Amino acid sequence: MTTEETRAAQTEAAQKAAGRTEAGQTAAGQTEAGQGEADRALLPTASPARTRAAVRELLRPHRGLAWAGFGLMVLATSVGLLTQPLLGHIVDVVTEHRSPDALTLPVLALAGVAVVQGVTTALGMSLVSRLGETVLARLRELFVERALSLPLGRLEKAGSGDLNARVTRDVSRVADAVRGALPELARSALSIVLTLGALALLDWRFLLAALVALPVQAHTARWYVRNAVPLYAKERIATGSQQQQLLDTIGGARTVRAYRLQAGHTRRVTDRSRASVELTMRGVQLVLRFYSRLHIAEYAGLSAVLVTGFLLVRSGSASVGTATAAALYFHSLFGPVNTALVLLDDAQSATAGLARLVGVVDEPAPTFAERGDDRSTAAGAPSVTLTAVSHAYVPGRPVLHGVDLEIRPKERVALVGTTGAGKTTLAKLVAGLHRPESGRIDVGGVEPDESGRLVGLVTQEVHVFAGPLADDLRLARPLADDEELREALATVGALGWAEALPEGLETVVGDGGHRLTADRAQQLALARLLLADPPVVVLDEATAEAGSSGARQLDAAAEQALRGRTALVVAHRLSQAATADRVVVLSDGRVVESGTHDELLTADGAYATLWHAWSGSRSPAPDGP
Amino acid sequence: MRSGEQSGRDVLTRSVRGQARRVGLGAALGCVHQLGEALVPVLIGVVIDQAVAGQDAGRLALWLVVLAVMYVALSWSFRLGARAGERSAEEAAHTLRLAIVRRVLDARGGAEEGRLPGELANVATEDAKRVGAVNMALMSGMWAVAGITASAVWLLLTSVPLGLIVLLGTPVLLWLGHLLSKPLERRSEAEQDRAAHASGVAADLVAGLRVLKGLGAQQAAVERYRRTSRASLAATLRAARAESWQTGLVLALTGGFIALIALVGGRLALDGSLTLGQLVSAVGLALFLLGPLETFAWVNAELAQGRASAARVAEVLAAQPAVVGGQDPVPDPVRGELRLRGVRLGGPDGVDLDLTAGRLTGIAVTDPASAEALLRCLGRETDPESGSVELDGVPLTRLDPAGLRAAVLVAAHDAVLFDGSLAANVTPQGEAEARSGPAEIGQADGADGADGADGADGADGAVNGTAEGTADLRTERAMAAAHADEVARSLPHGAATGVGEGGRSLSGGQRQRVLLARALRAGPPVLVVHDPTTAVDAVTEARIAQGLREIRRGRTTVVVTNSPALLAVADRVVLLDGGRVGAEGTHAELVQADATYRTAVLA
Repeated sequence: MTTEETRAAQTEAAQKAAGRTEAGQTAAGQTEAGQGEADRALLPTASPARTRAAVRELLRPHRGLAWAGFGLMVLATSVGLLTQPLLGHIVDVVTEHRSPDALTLPVLALAGVAVVQGVTTALGMSLVSRLGETVLARLRELFVERALSLPLGRLEKAGSGDLNARVTRDVSRVADAVRGALPELARSALSIVLTLGALALLDWRFLLAALVALPVQAHTARWYVRNAVPLYAKERIATGSQQQQLLDTIGGARTVRAYRLQAGHTRRVTDRSRASVELTMRGVQLVLRFYSRLHIAEYAGLSAVLVTGFLLVRSGSASVGTATAAALYFHSLFGPVNTALVLLDDAQSATAGLARLVGVVDEPAPTFAERGDDRSTAAGAPSVTLTAVSHAYVPGRPVLHGVDLEIRPKERVALVGTTGAGKTTLAKLVAGLHRPESGRIDVGGVEPDESGRLVGLVTQEVHVFAGPLADDLRLARPLADDEELREALATVGALGWAEALPEGLETVVGDGGHRLTADRAQQLALARLLLADPPVVVLDEATAEAGSSGARQLDAAAEQALRGRTALVVAHRLSQAATADRVVVLSDGRVVESGTHDELLTADGAYATLWHAWSGSRSPAPDGP
Repeated sequence: MRSGEQSGRDVLTRSVRGQARRVGLGAALGCVHQLGEALVPVLIGVVIDQAVAGQDAGRLALWLVVLAVMYVALSWSFRLGARAGERSAEEAAHTLRLAIVRRVLDARGGAEEGRLPGELANVATEDAKRVGAVNMALMSGMWAVAGITASAVWLLLTSVPLGLIVLLGTPVLLWLGHLLSKPLERRSEAEQDRAAHASGVAADLVAGLRVLKGLGAQQAAVERYRRTSRASLAATLRAARAESWQTGLVLALTGGFIALIALVGGRLALDGSLTLGQLVSAVGLALFLLGPLETFAWVNAELAQGRASAARVAEVLAAQPAVVGGQDPVPDPVRGELRLRGVRLGGPDGVDLDLTAGRLTGIAVTDPASAEALLRCLGRETDPESGSVELDGVPLTRLDPAGLRAAVLVAAHDAVLFDGSLAANVTPQGEAEARSGPAEIGQADGADGADGADGADGADGAVNGTAEGTADLRTERAMAAAHADEVARSLPHGAATGVGEGGRSLSGGQRQRVLLARALRAGPPVLVVHDPTTAVDAVTEARIAQGLREIRRGRTTVVVTNSPALLAVADRVVLLDGGRVGAEGTHAELVQADATYRTAVLA
C-alpha cells in the first residue's frame, strides 16, 4: 500500500463530496401530505446495454484520438515498469561487488525512464482527457437538446427537480468521472496488467504468489459494491432533496424576508443538509472498512512473494536482485490495485448518472410537422376545430367535458369563465402542450404539437432568459437582425424602455441581470411571439400577471401581436371579450354559450351576468368610508 | 449574522479552525499510518537482507510476524484518522452551507444581487464542499510530510549523505510542484466559473421551458446552449492539459530523484558503508516517497480549488446589504401611519404621500415601474435615493428591517409559494412556530416576537380564545376573505394538497388567491398588497375586494392596483402619474373628475 491509496480514498471522498445526486428528490424527508410527491414518475433511465451502445456511438468519431491516447498510456506504463528491474540490477551489482562504474549505465537508464515516462504520461493523459471531455460535451448538449423537447406533461409528472438534477448533478458526476476516474482507471488497469506480466517474466512462481491476494480482493470488491449501491442511492436522494430545498429557499428569498420565515427555512435546509452529511459519512465508513479488508490482501500477497523469493533463492532459481525486484513490483501494485477497486465504484456511480442522461437522450423525439411555409401568416391563417374534446389531469376528475369549438381563419375568439372553468386547460390543448384524453383537435388539418411552430402560446408565466435582451428575443427568431428586433419591440410598445436600458438591447436581463418589471417581461413575451410569427396564437391571460397597472398598454400590444392570426384569447378582463369576434363561455369544463358580445348580452345568460358584474364593478359605487 | 468584510482566506481559515479538533486527531492518526507505510519497504529490505540473502527461515517467520503487527496498526490508524478527516470536511461544508443560506435570507438582503438562484445554490453545495474538502487536503498534506520525515530519519540513521539528499531534495521537488500548480490554479478558477455559467444557462433554459415551448424556440435555445457548452469545453481542455503536464513533470522529477538515490546508495553499498538490506530499503523508500509527493500535487490542486471556492463563498457572505443602518425597534403599538416625503419613484420629482392609519388606501399608477419602486421602499428592500419614508413618524431607515416587516408587510405581486401544502403556505409562521424549538436564530426571535405582539394586538377584534383557536380562526377568515377556501375545496386533498414547486400545480388565479390569503393571515398592522387579483375572474375579484375590506377594517391597508373592483372599496385613492401624485379622492370622484385616472383604470 502506498499513499496513492490514501489519495484514491481522498479522490473518492472528494467525488462523493461533489455530490452523487440522482434524479429522485422528494420521497425521503418530505413532509408533504399532498398528492404531488407520491404521483411523481421520474424520467426514464437507460439499460446498461443501451448506455454502452450510446457511449460507443459517441466515441466513434474520435477513434483515432482514443487509440493514440491508449497507445501512449501503454507506452508510459511499460517504460515505468523498467524501474524495478533496473533497481534489481543495481542490487545485483552490489551483491557481486562489481566496480562502481557498473552503476552508471543502470542509473542513466533510470533517469531516462523517468523523462520518457513523464512525457508520455503527460501526452497520453491530455489525449485521454480531450477524448473524455469532448464526448462529455457532446452528451451534455444532446441531453439539453432532448430535455427541451420533452413533452410538458411528462416533465410535470417527473417534477422539474428531476430534470434539473440530471442537467446539473448527473452531468457533473459523469464529468468528474471523465476528468478523474477514467484516466486513473486506465493508468491503474494498465499498471496492474503490465506489472503482473513483468512478475511472470521474472519467474512464473512470483506471479502465482502475487495472485494469493486475488480471492480476498475479489471478495472485498463484491462485498463493497453490494453494500455501496443501496447506500449511495439513499445518499443521492438525500442530496437531491437538499438541492431542491436550497433552490426553493433561495429562489424565494424575497418572500422569506417579507414574511420573516428565516427560522423555518433555515431549519429545513439544516435538516436536509444534516441528513445528507450523515449518509455521506456512512458511505465514508463503508469505504474505510473496504480498505481494512484490502490491507489483509496486501499482507497475504506480500508475505507470499517474500516466501517465494526465499525459496527461489534457496533453490538457486533466482538471484537476490530478482527477488528484490519481485518484492518491489508487488509493493508497487498496492497503489494501482486499490485505485482500480475504488474507481470501480466511481465508474459504477458515473455509469448510473450516464444511464440517466442517456435515458433522457433516448426519449423519442416528438414528431413535429416539418417547418415549412405553413408557418408564415402569408400562407394564410388556418382554422382550429375541436371535436368532443375531454380532458382530465387526474383520472376521474375531468376538467373538460366534450368541448366542440370551431375558430375560423383569422377569427379572434375570447374564452370567458370563472377561475377553474377549464380555460387554461383548453388553451394548453389547442397549443399542443397536452393531448386531449378523448376527442380531436385540428389546426389547419394537423394535430397541434409542442413544436410551437403552428400555434404560439403566451401565458401569464413570465420568464426572462438570463443574458442580453437581444439574445432573449432571438430565441424566437435566431437570425433576426437588430432592425427586426427593434421593430418587434416597437410594435408592442417596448422599444422606448428597451433602448433606455444601460446598454440598450445588449443589456443583460433576467436572473442575475437587469430586473424587468412583470409587464415589461410580458411585453417581451409578446415581442418574442411577433418574432416567432406563428399563424395561430393562444393567449392565456397573457396580459394578466403583469398587473392591472400596465394592462392597457399590454392589451394594445397583444392587439398588435394578434393581427392577421387565428387567435384564442383566454380573457380575464371582459373588455378583451367585448372586442373579440366571438365570445365562448366555459363553465365547469363545458361550453355554455357562444356568440358575439352583443348576441350574448341579448341572450341574457351567464355571460350577461358576468358582464353586469364587471361593468357594475367599474361603476363608481364604493360603499363609503 | 454577517461578520463584516471577509476574504476567501478568512473563510478558509475559519472553516479549518472550526474543525481543529477533528483535523488534529485525523492528522495524528494519519501520521501513525504513514509511519507504518514508510516501514513496509524498510521491512521488505530487512527480510531480503536477513532472511532471503541470509537464507534464515526463523528470521523470515519472525519478520513476517512483525510485518503483520505493523499492518494491523497502520490499517486501524488509517481507518480512524480518515474518518475524522472526512467528518471534518463534511461538517465544515455543512456549517458554510448554513452560513450562506442565512446570509441570503438576511433581512437586509443584497446577497442575490447579480446571481442566479441556481448559482447561489451551487455555491451553497459545491463550493461549500470544496472549501470543506480543504480540511481533508491539509490533513493529507500533513500525512505526506510525516511520511517523508519518517523516511528521511530512517535514511539519516542509515547514512548521512543519503538522508541529506532526501531532506534537501524533497523541498526542491515540492517547490517545483508548487510552481507548476500556479498556472493550474488560475485555469481552474476560470474553468469553474465557466462550468458554473454553463450549468446556470442550462438551468435557466429548463426553467423557461414552457415559454420556449409556447414559441417553438427549443431549437434556438439548444443552439445557444451548445455555444455555452463549447466555450466551457475549451476552458476545461486547457485546464486538463495543464494538469496532465503537471502530472507528467512530477513523475519525471521524482523518477530522476530515485535515480539519484540509487546512484549514491549503490556507491555507498559498494564501498561497504551500507548493507544490502539498507540499500533495498533505501530504494524502496524512494519509491514509497512517490506517494507522498504525488499527494502533494493533489493537495496543491485541492487547495487551489478550495481557494477559488472560498473566494466565491466569501463574495456571497460579504455581499453589500441592500439596505444599511437601522437598529431601532418598531414603535409599539404600531398605529400604522405611513408618510412619504420627497421620495423619488421613477419620476423627476419627489412624491409626498400620507397613508392614513386604519384606512384602506388604493394607489393607482400610470407607470408600473413607479409601483414597483414604491413597494420596494415600503418593504425597505431598498432605501429611496432621496426623501424619506416614515412609519408613525419614525424614518424607516432608522428601523430594524426584520422588525419593520413584522409591522409593514409588503405582499409583492411576484411573491412565491413554497413547495408544501396549501395550508402550510397560508400559515408559514404557524408552521415555523410549531417546528421551531425555543432557541432559534436571532431573526426568528424577532419575527416570532413581532408576530406574537401582533396577535396580542387583537387587531382582529372579535376573536378571543386559546392561541390555537385564534390561529385557526384567523386562517379560516383569511382563506375566506381571499376566496382561497374555494381553491382548497377544488383540490383533491383540500388544504393539505401540495402546491408543487413554486405553486406550479395551481392555476394563476388560484395561486394569487393563496398568496393573498397568506398575506391576510399574517395580519400585520400595515399591509401593502400589489395587484392581488390580476388573474382572478371579474366575479370573484369583486367578492375578494369586499373580503379584503372587511378583514382589514381598522388596520392600515394599501392596495397598489389599477383594478376598479379593488379601488372601488378603498377609503381613498391616490393616482401616481409619472412619478408624482396626479390626483386624490374616492374612486367615484376620480372616475368622474380625472381623465388620466379614467384612462389608467377603466381602459
